[in-house]
Amino acid sequence: CSSLAGIMLLEVFLVLGTVIIYFLLTKKKEETLHFKDGWWGKGQKPVTEENTTIWPFKVETTEEELSDLFRRLDQARFTEPLENSCFHYGTNSVYLKKVVSYWKNQFNWKKQVEVLNKYPQFKTKIQGIDIHFVHVKPPRLPEGRSAKPLLMVHGWPGSFYEFYKIIPLLTDPASHGLSDEHIFEVICPSIPGYGFSEAPHKKDFNSVSAASVFYELMLRLGFNEFYTQGGDWGWLICTNLAQIAPNHVKGLHLNLASVTNVGFTHLLSILLGRYLPGLFGFQDEDVRRMFPFLQKGLYRILLESGYAHIQATKPDTVGCGLNDSPVGLAAYILEKFSTWTDLEFRDLEDGGLERKFNLDDLLTNIMIYWVSGCIVSSMRFYKENLQNGVGTQKHERIAVQVPTGIASFPNEVMHTPQAWAQKKYTNIVSFNFMPRGGHFAALEEPELLAEDILQFVGKVEKEQLWRKK
Amino acid sequence: ESILSRIRSFEYSQKNAVLVPAAALGVGGMLVYWLRSRHKIKTIEMGDGWWGSGERPLKGKEDESIRPFKIETSDKEIEDLHRRLERARYAPPLEGAAFHYGFNSSYLRKVVAYWRHQFDWRKQVEVLNKYPHFQTTIEGINIHFIHVKPSYIPHGRAVQPLLMVHGWPGSFYEFYKIIPLLTEPARHGLTEGDVVFEVICPSIPGYGFSEAPHQKGFDTIATARIFHKLMNRLGFKEYYLQGGDWGSRITTNMAQMLPQSVKGLHLNLVFISRQGLRRIISVMLGAYVPWLVGLTKEDVRRTYPFIQKNIYELLRETGYLHIQATKPDTAGCGLNDSPVGLAAYILEKFSTWTDKSFLHRDDGGLESKYSLDELLTNVMIYWVTSSIVSSMRFYKENLSQHPGLAADARVGVYVPTGIAAFPQELAHTPRAWAKQIFKNITTYSYMPRGGHFAAFEEPKLLAQDIIHFVRKVEQL
Repeated sequence: CSSLAGIMLLEVFLVLGTVIIYFLLTKKKEETLHFKDGWWGKGQKPVTEENTTIWPFKVETTEEELSDLFRRLDQARFTEPLENSCFHYGTNSVYLKKVVSYWKNQFNWKKQVEVLNKYPQFKTKIQGIDIHFVHVKPPRLPEGRSAKPLLMVHGWPGSFYEFYKIIPLLTDPASHGLSDEHIFEVICPSIPGYGFSEAPHKKDFNSVSAASVFYELMLRLGFNEFYTQGGDWGWLICTNLAQIAPNHVKGLHLNLASVTNVGFTHLLSILLGRYLPGLFGFQDEDVRRMFPFLQKGLYRILLESGYAHIQATKPDTVGCGLNDSPVGLAAYILEKFSTWTDLEFRDLEDGGLERKFNLDDLLTNIMIYWVSGCIVSSMRFYKENLQNGVGTQKHERIAVQVPTGIASFPNEVMHTPQAWAQKKYTNIVSFNFMPRGGHFAALEEPELLAEDILQFVGKVEKEQLWRKK
Repeated sequence: ESILSRIRSFEYSQKNAVLVPAAALGVGGMLVYWLRSRHKIKTIEMGDGWWGSGERPLKGKEDESIRPFKIETSDKEIEDLHRRLERARYAPPLEGAAFHYGFNSSYLRKVVAYWRHQFDWRKQVEVLNKYPHFQTTIEGINIHFIHVKPSYIPHGRAVQPLLMVHGWPGSFYEFYKIIPLLTEPARHGLTEGDVVFEVICPSIPGYGFSEAPHQKGFDTIATARIFHKLMNRLGFKEYYLQGGDWGSRITTNMAQMLPQSVKGLHLNLVFISRQGLRRIISVMLGAYVPWLVGLTKEDVRRTYPFIQKNIYELLRETGYLHIQATKPDTAGCGLNDSPVGLAAYILEKFSTWTDKSFLHRDDGGLESKYSLDELLTNVMIYWVTSSIVSSMRFYKENLSQHPGLAADARVGVYVPTGIAAFPQELAHTPRAWAKQIFKNITTYSYMPRGGHFAAFEEPKLLAQDIIHFVRKVEQL
């Protein structure tokens, strides 16, 4: 009788013990995203060790490149727009002709190449492909101060060039009327398949692959701790990087914070959020930007996501003509710089482009796609990330615990309220509604973005938040 | 109670005087309503339109002449094309991608090499001109069409007029192989010549040699009206219609608009825009008890697994539709400037929509079903007419509204209808679902092989089905 009781007691203890141990183990185990190793070069991976040298790079052009471009611009075939269609059917070809005329007669690519080369650029081979990046150190550092490394990642259809206006505000804030409490050295890589970074030759190069490559880059440059900043694909790559290496990323700053893991609470908040904002954690500005939801959410997304749909399914088809027609390429890219800066620009015959950007900047960005022939590989990134649908990837369900700062620009195509963002970004240190600006924040509103980055870093540094994760 | 007693207190005759007429009115009204609703077939309003540049001229009647037309080319045109082909810039495909990322550029190089060095556009123009072409102005724009009459009419037989409408990214040229099978069936081994057609193939405005509309809003209903006017102008009061892709929706609209002019409607693709609770139930039950919801075994084979075939695969194949329905001018811009880009974009459809398994092939399986000459001739039609952008606008004009709200989604089709269901079509519509709109299905055939471009790929099969359908209608 006592032995039976003894056995039963033992069993109970065993079960309890296993349960306790299980909980202890699972509690300690933090959900992280794994570093994604890969090899993206042509053919078979060589047996020899990868060459880890970093060599300087300069953008170059040739007469042949220019005359080929001009010939294509001269022979461009346009289609008359429908009467009164403005930018509602896409880029208006009457305005496009003006841009092409400027491109032929006033735009000076040689001069722009010099502009591009004003910041030091480098290349290094990582996971089998050449990675291009800009690395700008502060021109002057006060006694005893050190520069904080900041990785800034662009998106589509942008490039490292988008950061050229904001870089000086971060490396030399004092000269631009900003507080120099924090000074940065900025690293802007080109996503593999974009600009001067080699395109992957193998399938399956997604945001986690890019994050892993950039992680290796930062380590190779000798940075053990750094900040990251991103919008568009840069948002996702930097998020993944924070998930892969939370102990190396001191802070994550985003000008886009999409939430792809939509659940029941999101749907509920869409239905009722307009009437019970407080219940769902919506602020007045959130409500103003998000509702009426059908119009500002669903229809807007449907109207503006055709490009993502075709790029996520047939990138080689849609990119083909764009790699062969600079005018077609310009039309395709400029449409985004118009609509994603301000949706109301669709009502304008000239798409409002020159209100916020100058043609030199816009064409320089387009030229980067043209001279590197990267439009097709840039589009493949959509397929590699979206082919299984939105919200299906593992990393979309993993939270981000790194201190996060979000700059929410009013003209971003879709607004993500803090209430939604904080489900994923569990350590939001700052969330600010910006007074103006759209998707291409760094190019359109560099001062606003720089100020937000500085205040965010200020908060993180003051309380040494990266230690408290 | 007081009211009742008051009514009862009415004199019998007074009661009758009130009740009988009231009852008669009631019953009569119901009878009239029932009779009217039986015979009244709802139609789409014909309306009117103006698609020329600027304002519609107030004075003067439209020029209704029908002018013969010949396709022409020039050395300059061919030289320009050759230069662009020679200077094409390609991006190498990913290793092992086949056609999964779109048109494989390694195979594209081969196509372009053929196009540059072997394809003979002058010869193809002669091929195109072998049928009589015409142009006429309707609603302010030039409508192009070919009109082929049988060279020999069997004694005592009536010649049936047949309007055949193409789609995107096709053209009137898709019908070149099937036309002789319909105008001279006996000569091609098809039946004893019971049914003989004269065939009219127009180009949809904005496609090929038809002028593109200059105003917004040009949809399938406007096209349907214009094609009715065309047939009327040619002297036809009653005719048959055949269509696939956009041609299917246009001819369906024609049948909904003027059923008295449509002897029969033959489709190789059925668009059902109105989904509903009934459909959802049918889909859910259809996998387990197909007979309960009117699905045949073949329907089940072609429709399930439902999510895979009708959601996943459809999403994978409709990127073009999404961008063309929202930003046609952007999507088409580069394609109008790069013939290689145009070819890749169009030929991708001729690959995938002919057979989905072609996605796994490095060469997209194109030359297993078509010749490069015929594929490139179709591409050239888009190139020499610079019509890719206007062809894409058709998507925006037709798909901007909620599909269930469009006028034609609520109107039934009562004319005799024949449906040829090809196995490799993008999406399969079982007869049970088609019946919701097509109230008078005369024939429904499961075709043994073939995909989206039925007339181009399987002209004999399609011709046989059209003839089979028309024979049934004529005997009725």
